[in-house]
Amino acid sequence: MDLQPMNWVPTSIKKQGRKSLLITWEDGHVSRYSFRLLRQHCPCAACVDEWTGKTTLNPENVALDLEGLKVEPVGNYALSFSFSDHHDTGLFHFELLRSICPCESCQTNRPMVRSGN
Amino acid sequence: MGNSVTSNDILTALRQVQDPDLKKDIVTLGFVRKAQASGSQVDIEITVPTPIFPGYEKMRLEISKRVQGLPGVSAINVTMVGEVSGEPASNKGGLPGIKNIIAVGSGKGGVGKSTVTANLAVGLAHYGAKVGLVDGDIYGPTVPIMLGAKEHDLQQNERGIIPIESHGVKFMSMGLLSKGSAPLIWRGPMAHKAVQESLLHVDWGNLDYLFVDMPPGTGDVHLTLVQTVPVTGAVLVSTPQDVGLTISLKTFKLFEQTKVPLLGIIENMSYHVCSNCGSREEIFGHGAVAEEAAKLKIPFLGEIPLDRSIRQCADEGMPVIIANPESPSAKVYLQITERLAAQVKILNHTRKPLIVIEEEPESSSQAFSV
Repeated sequence: MDLQPMNWVPTSIKKQGRKSLLITWEDGHVSRYSFRLLRQHCPCAACVDEWTGKTTLNPENVALDLEGLKVEPVGNYALSFSFSDHHDTGLFHFELLRSICPCESCQTNRPMVRSGN
Repeated sequence: MGNSVTSNDILTALRQVQDPDLKKDIVTLGFVRKAQASGSQVDIEITVPTPIFPGYEKMRLEISKRVQGLPGVSAINVTMVGEVSGEPASNKGGLPGIKNIIAVGSGKGGVGKSTVTANLAVGLAHYGAKVGLVDGDIYGPTVPIMLGAKEHDLQQNERGIIPIESHGVKFMSMGLLSKGSAPLIWRGPMAHKAVQESLLHVDWGNLDYLFVDMPPGTGDVHLTLVQTVPVTGAVLVSTPQDVGLTISLKTFKLFEQTKVPLLGIIENMSYHVCSNCGSREEIFGHGAVAEEAAKLKIPFLGEIPLDRSIRQCADEGMPVIIANPESPSAKVYLQITERLAAQVKILNHTRKPLIVIEEEPESSSQAFSV
């Protein structure tokens, strides 16, 4: 059992203005997310039903020009975002972020549950 | 006749010297701050990323030996300076002046975790590190008593609460924030507030290591801690009988899930040392923790004996390292301190802190599709 938790650890996190986030992972993969996409995947209790796991947030309702105001690390294992719609309660674990990488190769292997556009 | 020795010659010799924990040579590691010759006199200055432990004597001797061997060298002066490695990451309300945050946990209460933490903190301070300690374990014996600080009125300055200093360690107790002796139940928002108050709103100054003595098991204090600050690593304390609990229980899994690396595990009350004759008896079946550690590949930091003087010292407010430095327990503590610092050194060498870089957005001429 490999105990040192180095799976899906970012080596770099770049906030590109208010529009997008670029994460480079330890295995060399690069993920680029729009803040709109991230907002659509917010895992907090207001956006996802705690018991059923179904999204209570309707992704279509997220504004097309939704922006990211702040990106902050949470401990060693997650990021928190402040969005332009004043929503800021979600904790995005790195596992989650990696799983929603919108690039073609990730989506072929592991399609997103919620659509990005 | 006789070429004078050059800096290059010296550096070549120094490339033969390795750091035993990082397994690279000290030149590549950037430890060599100065390697100069004036005539046949050589001056070398080395900076290591931990306090200067006795273990570094070997490195100093090797440096001397290698450089003495160079032609043209008559005298060497080797200075070693300790500059603890550790870069605090930017974090929501983070602690910018603190290089390493170490959580000390256990599977259950009664394993002596608070005593161990207090002695580790004092041990590092003993070797010259700047150390802080937050007592988050309100169920156990209080760290303030163990460190010899009685009831204190906490003072504040513009940067926050001023921690109490004792035996070279700055400390704060979550218990000190409550009035009187009413036991507090740290649940949810209160745990959050307690962690914030006792950790963030304290004027720690610059610290090399900040220990957080966790409540036993897992709970809101643990979750709040790992979410509030980037914990460098965790140390687990276990007795021989409890190791099954410690490992299988949530404490261990919580650190794993929140990506807090395990710096190591310590076996406390490992064996008994007679205070009269010094003979050693293994009454609790010691060795179980080392076995589990090996199986799970967690660094095993050491075994602390059950020694009456530790308890007496704790009750009298003087950690055994200070009160009885020649005792077997004190010596063991100092060794464990050194091993712990080595693990922190290795960790800092191999990983980068999480920092969010702000960049200008891509130019609008580039189409961005999701």
